[in-house]
Amino acid sequence: MITASQKPINEIIKLIAPYKKVLILGCGTCVKTCFAGGEDEVAVLASALRLSFKKKAMTIEIEEQTVERQCENEFIQEASVKMARNDATLSLACGAGVQAMVKRFAKNIVLPGVNTTFIGIQESQGIFTEECSGCGNCELGIFGGVCPVTRCAKKLLNGPCGGSQKGICEINPDTDCAWHLIIERLTTLGQLDNLKTYIPPKNWDTSLSGGPRKLVREDHII
Amino acid sequence: MKTFSHLHEKLSNGEFAVTGECGPPRGANTGVVDKKIKLLRGFVDAVNVTDNQTAIVRMSSIAASAHLVRAELEPVMQMVVRDRNRIAIQSDIMGAYSLGIRNILCLSGDHQKFGSQPDAMNVFDIDSVNLIRTVRDMRDTGKDMSGYTLDVAPQMFIGAAANPFADPFEYRVIRLAKKIDAGADFIQTQCIYNITRFKEWIRQANNEGLTDKVYILGGVTPLRSAGMARYMNNKVAGMDIPEDVIKRMDGVDKKDQADEGIKICLETIEELKGLKGVHGVHIMAIEWEEVVATIVEQADLK
Amino acid sequence: MNIDKKPKLTLFHCLNSFKETSSMFDGCQAKTVKMACSSMTKDIHLLKAFEAGADAVLVLVCPEKGCRYSEGSMRAKKRVDYVKTILDDIGMDSRAIEYIQHDSQKTTGLIKDIIQNNDIRA
Ligand code: SF4
Repeated sequence: MITASQKPINEIIKLIAPYKKVLILGCGTCVKTCFAGGEDEVAVLASALRLSFKKKAMTIEIEEQTVERQCENEFIQEASVKMARNDATLSLACGAGVQAMVKRFAKNIVLPGVNTTFIGIQESQGIFTEECSGCGNCELGIFGGVCPVTRCAKKLLNGPCGGSQKGICEINPDTDCAWHLIIERLTTLGQLDNLKTYIPPKNWDTSLSGGPRKLVREDHII
Repeated sequence: MKTFSHLHEKLSNGEFAVTGECGPPRGANTGVVDKKIKLLRGFVDAVNVTDNQTAIVRMSSIAASAHLVRAELEPVMQMVVRDRNRIAIQSDIMGAYSLGIRNILCLSGDHQKFGSQPDAMNVFDIDSVNLIRTVRDMRDTGKDMSGYTLDVAPQMFIGAAANPFADPFEYRVIRLAKKIDAGADFIQTQCIYNITRFKEWIRQANNEGLTDKVYILGGVTPLRSAGMARYMNNKVAGMDIPEDVIKRMDGVDKKDQADEGIKICLETIEELKGLKGVHGVHIMAIEWEEVVATIVEQADLK
Repeated sequence: MNIDKKPKLTLFHCLNSFKETSSMFDGCQAKTVKMACSSMTKDIHLLKAFEAGADAVLVLVCPEKGCRYSEGSMRAKKRVDYVKTILDDIGMDSRAIEYIQHDSQKTTGLIKDIIQNNDIRA
């Protein structure tokens, strides 16, 4: 999933301060799972904003809505009525969701309420970890299913740096050394020979380095 | 046999080589470089010039290396893949060669997180193994990474780093082999304080026949104080200073600790001299260049 | 604070462990919300209580080991802490919300103390 975390309330207040009526629009998919922008978070944020404006003796009207997925037209459409009657929409979806909204509602103001962070998983309750960089050229097969492009702080493809100690990455005591995990996993799988394989310079053209990417499925274009 | 540098020549003659280290200044003051040159010239065969070490912004290693060349002290230009993509890397190698730089040490580089610009974007386009390979391919095939034939291809003596003290230990020798395969001619190791572990590593390397394919220079850093020992052990990534070494430093008077540090360093060098597969020593006297002459003389390395 | 005006208190508590008596709320206008478990007090309920005019909110949680749903009181405490951070962020006094660990001997006294000492006020 895509993870995100809500922006600090004071940043949000600055973003919406110029408007009288604001719709807070949640998204019921990824950002809901990571507790950043689902129905519950929309309600809490709306309540906090109301309290804050009241305390400052300012007025603001806040409406709430959450659609199933803000990155799909089909679901975005449901927001059109409320969007039309508000001055601005604060989207709690990921950056893709915000921009999907912008494409659909060319004249409406859509503001980001979360910081989109990474493609990851919920490793354990309340803890999310980054697992994939969407480099466009997956080589997990040779690395025993652990991605060094994403999880090694130096994107090393030919083995660990000299800073790896006791399974921990040199950059942070809370971060596992990806190469330690790779070696562990290959040991379990009996594929340690993979480590001797020379990995040539990565082709980054398929990644964001090659410019914004587009995926075309001819068979689905009508 | 063609040799690419003075360091190469010395090693290929089977002589025990000595390299030193020079960290460029945080600024454009060539005076600092000149001062270090004076302290090191005549005592070492070549001097590593660090490349924004610990990710602290400093004068570039290419420029500082060029100052060394001008002063007739042979540099080992360090290059990290943290700050340059493959375009800049190749271009810098050509530029360095054109300035008379003949040795290169290929590194990943310390992560910028603990440096002076933790907010920087890093590059890591290629890793250190591929940096080694790039320099080797330029030299041996005359081509750049794209396959284009260069009119004059840089001919450098290629070094790589190895850390026998990092984990996972079993993998360290595989990694060494990979670097040799990629084209490393010489290896400089992380500072050795845990001689037992170093011996085990070199034994494995000997067994795999790796020490016949590459020159290994054992890294040493004289400890200045017990505090420094503790700091390095806790704070510097990949550093292994055993408890008894720290205790030994603690055991002497504060004012004598530097001497004790030099003593430990000399003992380590003595051990290294006697080890099969070790071809030289790399003295990293960080901001303590004046001690290098003493160590070289007392260790009888001249 | 206006002396005549009694502070408004909202108390959330778990119905498994606590019986209210009207006298314990002397000196304030109290509203109580009974939950099947204190963990069911979501952050939004706590904020809504403030929106509805509460000067202070109290969450009465069972002792961690005594919670019927094992993690319930732990969750409730974490929610209270989270709401405290929100109150701080928006410039309200985070002391306006507290949890108290229920203890059949002491709870009534504790609530009384809090009310009398005006400890918690928005
Ligand atoms: S310690 Fe491991 S994960 Fe961290 S940078 Fe080095 S090799 Fe990569």
